[in-house]
Amino acid sequence: LNGTKNKRRKWDISKLIYMDNIAPADAIKRWNGEADETEVEEDLEDDEDTEFFTQKTNTTPNKAVTYHDDLERFIPYFDTFNDLVERWSTADSIKDRFVGKPSLN
Amino acid sequence: MSSSSRYVTFEGSRNFRLRVVMATLSGKAIKIEKIRSDDLNPGLKDYEVSFLRLMEAVTNGSSIEISYTGTTVIFRPGIITGGSYTHQCPNSKPVGYFAEPMLYLAPFSKKKFSILFRGITSSHNDAGIDAIKWGLMPIMEKFGVRECALHTLKRGSPPLGGGEVHLVVDSLIAQPITMHALDKTMISSIRGVSYSTRVSPSLVNRMIDGAKKVLKSASCEVNITADVWRGENSGKSPGWGLTLVAENKQGWRIFSEAIGDAGDVPEDIGASVAYHLLEEISKSGVVGRNQLPLTILYMIIGKEDIGRLRITKDQIDERFVWLLRDIKKVFGTEILLKPVDDNTTDLIATIKGIGFTNTNKKIA
Repeated sequence: LNGTKNKRRKWDISKLIYMDNIAPADAIKRWNGEADETEVEEDLEDDEDTEFFTQKTNTTPNKAVTYHDDLERFIPYFDTFNDLVERWSTADSIKDRFVGKPSLN
Repeated sequence: MSSSSRYVTFEGSRNFRLRVVMATLSGKAIKIEKIRSDDLNPGLKDYEVSFLRLMEAVTNGSSIEISYTGTTVIFRPGIITGGSYTHQCPNSKPVGYFAEPMLYLAPFSKKKFSILFRGITSSHNDAGIDAIKWGLMPIMEKFGVRECALHTLKRGSPPLGGGEVHLVVDSLIAQPITMHALDKTMISSIRGVSYSTRVSPSLVNRMIDGAKKVLKSASCEVNITADVWRGENSGKSPGWGLTLVAENKQGWRIFSEAIGDAGDVPEDIGASVAYHLLEEISKSGVVGRNQLPLTILYMIIGKEDIGRLRITKDQIDERFVWLLRDIKKVFGTEILLKPVDDNTTDLIATIKGIGFTNTNKKIA
């Protein structure tokens, strides 16, 4: 257990951002402590033949540009409507962000 | 000098406009390679060429070289001159796509910017005119660009457009003010514009109803304006949309927007924009995610002084990393992120300006 914990070292986001050899998506994952190396290895073993083509395109700089990584798309990414409905049934979690009108009840 | 070091080289079509804008501000030539080189339609799109034309029009001495296949562009920037110009936007992108990058350049120009954009005024992916007016221009105001306006002369919904928008930036400043924004934006009211062109005005009110229902749980004043466009000024296609802006007394804004398609339920669009606004508020520190590039770039080109901006952990996404990497490539500066010590996961972005000065504003 301790071994795995040590592997997940704490990354400094200021440095991680400017490590050009790490893809931005991976940089964010490492910072959040999500991606550990075993996961990545498994991925590689799983899709040998089937995803041969997709893997190839993934390495090019022109991979399908999604709104996760391109500022050309102005509107940022949001979860699906249903997820948002669930999360924001009340705005209590951001109550401290509002000032002004006192609550009526 | 070797040929590789003459240009700052980028790959791919990512952040195309921002890269060109940064090149212009820094005065460095850039080369963008492999633009959609694996695509079925390789090379620049019509709207990107149109954008380069616009850049050529508002600068003096820019040179643009596009390779035969259109997959490589070399852009050598000239000086920003501004002036009056009419830009016909292709129907593949709305005016927001072209007007937004102009905001980065306009205050640092020789003459005042007065650009008339013709085309589509709203879309799913690009900045709407209300978002620019109520969301991005207040940010510029924070940096000392006080006199800027976007006048909506005609609205034009996709697919045919026919809208007309006039961008006027009268403030010409030497450099942006160094800014320190360390407190989370406290929202004091929510305003909005619900607009429609060539459809029944009831759609506008239904959108307002949908949004208000969601925002009832937000404990602040909600005020949404109905803006129905009729006749000649409403473009060539029917369309409708909603922009919501959460504002505070200090002048910071957080906003969200969406437009409806045929078959969408207006109440749902209204509700979804309202949900997006709540989500954006929860994710944002001082500014929203769609205002971050503008804010950070203005801070980068500020005085050689250190500015600070509070951001949240959620705001550090892939787009943010790409933005900072591109900035480092062009300007050579890194920003430092320090955690805040007040029980939140927020960070303070410490940004040192590069000491850029408006070349047209030499102080005697």
